[in-house]
Formats: sequence, structure tokens, C-alpha cells
Amino acid sequence: MSGSIEVRGLSRTFHTTVRRPGFTGTLRSLVDPERVAKHAVQDITFDVAPGELLALLGPNGAGKSTTIKMLTGILTPTSGECRVAGVVPYQERERNARNIGAVFGQRTQLWWDLPVRESFAILRDIYEVPKAEHAARLEEFDDLLDLSSFWDTRVRHLSLGQRVRSDLAAALLHDPPVVFLDEPTIGMDVVVKEQVREFLRYQVEQRSRTVLLTTHDMTEVERLAERVVLINHGRLVLDGSLDDIRRKFGSTWQVRATLADAHTDVVPLPGIAVLRRDGPRVVFGPDGPDAPTVHQALKTVIERYEVTGVAIDEADLEDVMRAAYVHAEAV
Amino acid sequence: MAVLHAWRAARVTPLGELHTPPRMTAVLVRLAVQVVLVASLWHGLYSHTSTTAGLDEGQAVTYAVLAVLASRLRELDQYAGRDTVLQHMHFGTIVYWYLRPLPPQRYYALRALGEQLYGLAWALGGFAVCLAAGVVEPPRSAAVAGVFAVSLLLGQWVLYYVMLVLDQMCFFTIRNNSAMLILIFVQNLLSGVYAPLWYFPDWFITLSGFLPFQATLSVPLSIYVGRIQLADAGVQLAVQAAWVVVLALFTRWVWRQAARRVISQGG
Repeated sequence: MSGSIEVRGLSRTFHTTVRRPGFTGTLRSLVDPERVAKHAVQDITFDVAPGELLALLGPNGAGKSTTIKMLTGILTPTSGECRVAGVVPYQERERNARNIGAVFGQRTQLWWDLPVRESFAILRDIYEVPKAEHAARLEEFDDLLDLSSFWDTRVRHLSLGQRVRSDLAAALLHDPPVVFLDEPTIGMDVVVKEQVREFLRYQVEQRSRTVLLTTHDMTEVERLAERVVLINHGRLVLDGSLDDIRRKFGSTWQVRATLADAHTDVVPLPGIAVLRRDGPRVVFGPDGPDAPTVHQALKTVIERYEVTGVAIDEADLEDVMRAAYVHAEAV
Repeated sequence: MAVLHAWRAARVTPLGELHTPPRMTAVLVRLAVQVVLVASLWHGLYSHTSTTAGLDEGQAVTYAVLAVLASRLRELDQYAGRDTVLQHMHFGTIVYWYLRPLPPQRYYALRALGEQLYGLAWALGGFAVCLAAGVVEPPRSAAVAGVFAVSLLLGQWVLYYVMLVLDQMCFFTIRNNSAMLILIFVQNLLSGVYAPLWYFPDWFITLSGFLPFQATLSVPLSIYVGRIQLADAGVQLAVQAAWVVVLALFTRWVWRQAARRVISQGG
């Protein structure tokens, strides 16, 4: 089954009642409520190919979760359309449910009073997974997530890391081709985060699952995502690779080169400016909107000049995303 | 097709109870204390009279003790298990009910069925002990027992829908605590848990006739103790069945409305 996600002009508007301030205002609101429209998602279009991991990024309140809820079929769009594994999620909820798995942050779908394994068994019955298949998949997940060390423990007694690992397994027990993860590693320690990332990488690379991930953890994005969609105020700001984002918002790199001959004439190169020079030591930086990536700039400098030493300083993804968010706010 | 295996979701609450022995011990102690106190109270009330409100001492004690046992049918500690609709709305976990191939209304029904069967096991155990100890009278005939069983089944069905309406309120009001407190009181009062409805004034009995609560417990227990004769039971069963139909249609409509609300409040 193809695990593609197609999103075309997707929009969702919520209508809420605004409470006027003060006692009189509150009374007025009861009699004459003022309704306002909030455009949570506006005209978003993107695709996710089968077996691809896409990071859906944006600041808080950007519309990421609303988008995921439309793609999971919980929410019906105001306009536009989407297909997940060939199914229109909000029109065929039950069919869509068999094609998708989902984890929403720290919200667990496991039963609080039951041992983890009992929760898995109930989900097995709900999704009608044959027992042998269920056992084999559980064994596979145990190898990756070390579930057996706590799966006989009641969910209420699990640590956050154990619970999220259990939730990840629960979301994939029915072998869905598409997985939605809404901030799955929020609040977890670095060791468990890495374990979860390994698990996700395995699911994408070995099991060809399509994963749509939202996170504020840029290390996670860097380690996992092939492509990024950035949204803000419900609008799509950028759809591209991490390099694209760096090129557009992360032009804060510097290439520090030591020339073999201190008297060499140094001239600006296409998209590369000379920021400083002190004898043989030259600092290059990006010049203009068409500046190359740091790696391209490094290659150009080395090809153009004879250098005895070189070092690069590059803004990390946190800085890049901060710049992207600031840029998105300004648009 | 989903229902072929999904019916096993009915084991959710009983399993949770079985994994929490202290809760079961508490239930056992509470039931024992309640039965002893209620039986003593009604014996005491009848110490200077033989028949009141059409019930003799044996009927009244039997009615009151059975009411205690039957109230156990749907009185599980879901709150401790974080499995009330209110909590699912509060924690946002209600979204998972909408992400499974088992529709939320069917999952809710299966879960309730499991609860009621588990509660029935407790009630039957308590009934057997009370019967053996002579605290309650046996049914007067096999026919009475049969009609009582049918009426109890219909009564539990009505109770299921009453509880469902309350839970559905969470989709619209986020919290149902106050409504729940009011309902528990009204349900216990109008269904006859606190005292058989026959002891109340006529206007009260007439008023409660327009509400579904007496159909949950008062009718089956009145049939059991003989306060409603078998000849009149048909009408009562029909009223109970009518409540089942009305509430089924109403709650079905509310489920549809609730699905539209799940995001704005549960997401």
C-alpha cells in the first residue's frame, strides 16, 4: 500500500466566541456573543512521498497540530483536500485509521490501569491483527525499544521515556504505512531521545513507512528529516531540504582560510565576500541572497586559492530556524 | 468486520479492576457494610408496623438490599483509571478514540458492556450470599424471576444511556462534575436506591413516571418483590423499552454533534 500524503490548498477556520472584558462585558457576551474567525491553516499544499520522513516545523500556534488532525481524519478541513495512503481521511475515518499510526506528544493512548502488554493486546483486537503477526512485531519493537523490561508494568507506573516508547510501539502495532508524530520526544532525556530517533530511522529506512513529524528539537530534525515544511500563522513559508533552509535563512557561515602566500590578491567570489584580511589570514562570508552553502563556499575557496589551513563556522540549525521564524513573522 | 475482535475491548475496565486488588477489597467492604446497615435500617423502620406503602417488611428489606447490590453494576472507579470521558477530554486523549477503526460510540458501548457484566458478577455474588443468609427473599415464582431478569436488563440498558448522555455533555461543556453530582443524587433518589419510590407522595411518583430513572431500578425491583404484579409488568416493560429507543436515538444524534467538537476541546 502506498503511504503517500497529498495536501492541496488545505485550510481550516475555527469560529470562537470572544469574551468581552469585565463583568458588564461578560454579561454582554452572554446576550450578544461576538464570534470571530481564526484561520488556523490557510491554503497549504505539499506532498510526502512513500517512505519519506518530513518534518513539519513552525513556532507554537503555527497550525502544525491542526494540519496533522486534518490528515488523521479527526478534523474536517474548511476547504482544500488531502489524501493519506489514497484515502480522504475525514471522509473515511475507519479506513484511514487502519493506514495510520499517531502519537500526540505526552498524551498516551494506553490504558492507565493496565500493564503495557495488555494495552497492546487490546489494540491488537481493535485493529484485528493476527496473534502471530502481533507477537512477531512486538518482538521486533522490543529489540529496538527495549520494551520487555517494563511491559508488564502498569502504565501509571512508567517513566515518561518508557511511556512514550510504549506509545510509539502502540501506534505501529498494526503496521500502518503512514505515521504522524506530534512532538513525540518532548520532555524526554537525551538517551531515550536517541533511542526513539533510531527507532524512527529504522521504520523509515527498513520498513519504508512515511513519517510526518512535528518537533521543536532541531537536533531531531537534523538527524532524521530529509525534507522540511515550515509553516507560520497557518501559511506555508517554505518547503525544501535542510540545505534550502540554511541557504535561505542560515547565511551566517564564515570560512577562515590561511593562504600559502600572504601576498596573494584576494578578490570577492560569486556570492562570497571578503569580510576581513590580516596578512595570510582571510575570512570569507556570504554575499547576497544567492550566497552558496558553507560547503560550496569552502570548495570554491580551496579551488581558487592555495591554502595551508582552513576552518568553518556555521550557524547551527537552531540559529537557522530562529532566523526563519523571525523572517516568517515579518512576512 | 471490526467488531469480530473488537468486542474484546469490553475487558478494559474489568481488567483494570483485577489489576488493582485494593479497589476490589474496598468494594467488598463497602458492599458488606452497606448491606448490613440498609437491612438493619429497614428492619428497624418496620419494627412497629407490618405494611407500609404496599410493602411488608420482607419486601422492603429485599428491595433495599437488592438496590444496594444493583447500584454496584455501573459504579466502577474509572476516575482512578483516568478513563472517564471527562478525563479524556481534559488530557486530550479523546483524539485516540477517533483514530481507531472502532468508532468511539462502539468502543464506549463495548467498554460499558464489560463494566456492567463485571458489576453483574459482583451483584450476583452478593445476591447469592444475601439469599443464603436470609437477608433477601427469593423471587416468588420462576415467572417473576424471568420477568425481573428482562426488566433488569432493560433497566441497565436505560442506565447505560443515561450515563452516556452525561459523558456526552463533556464534549460541549468540558466538565460534567456538577451534572454528575446532581445525576448521582437524582438517579439514586428517583430510581429507588435510597428508598422505594412507593414511599414518596403521589405527585412525586407521577413526576418520576415522566423521567427515565425509575425505569433503571425501581421497576425491576418492584417486579421482584411483587409490588408490581406480573399482570401489570407488560406495560412497565414497554415503558422501559420505549426509554431505550428514545435515548438510543438521542445519544446517536449527540455522538454526531460530539465528533465536531472533539478538536476544539480535546485536541
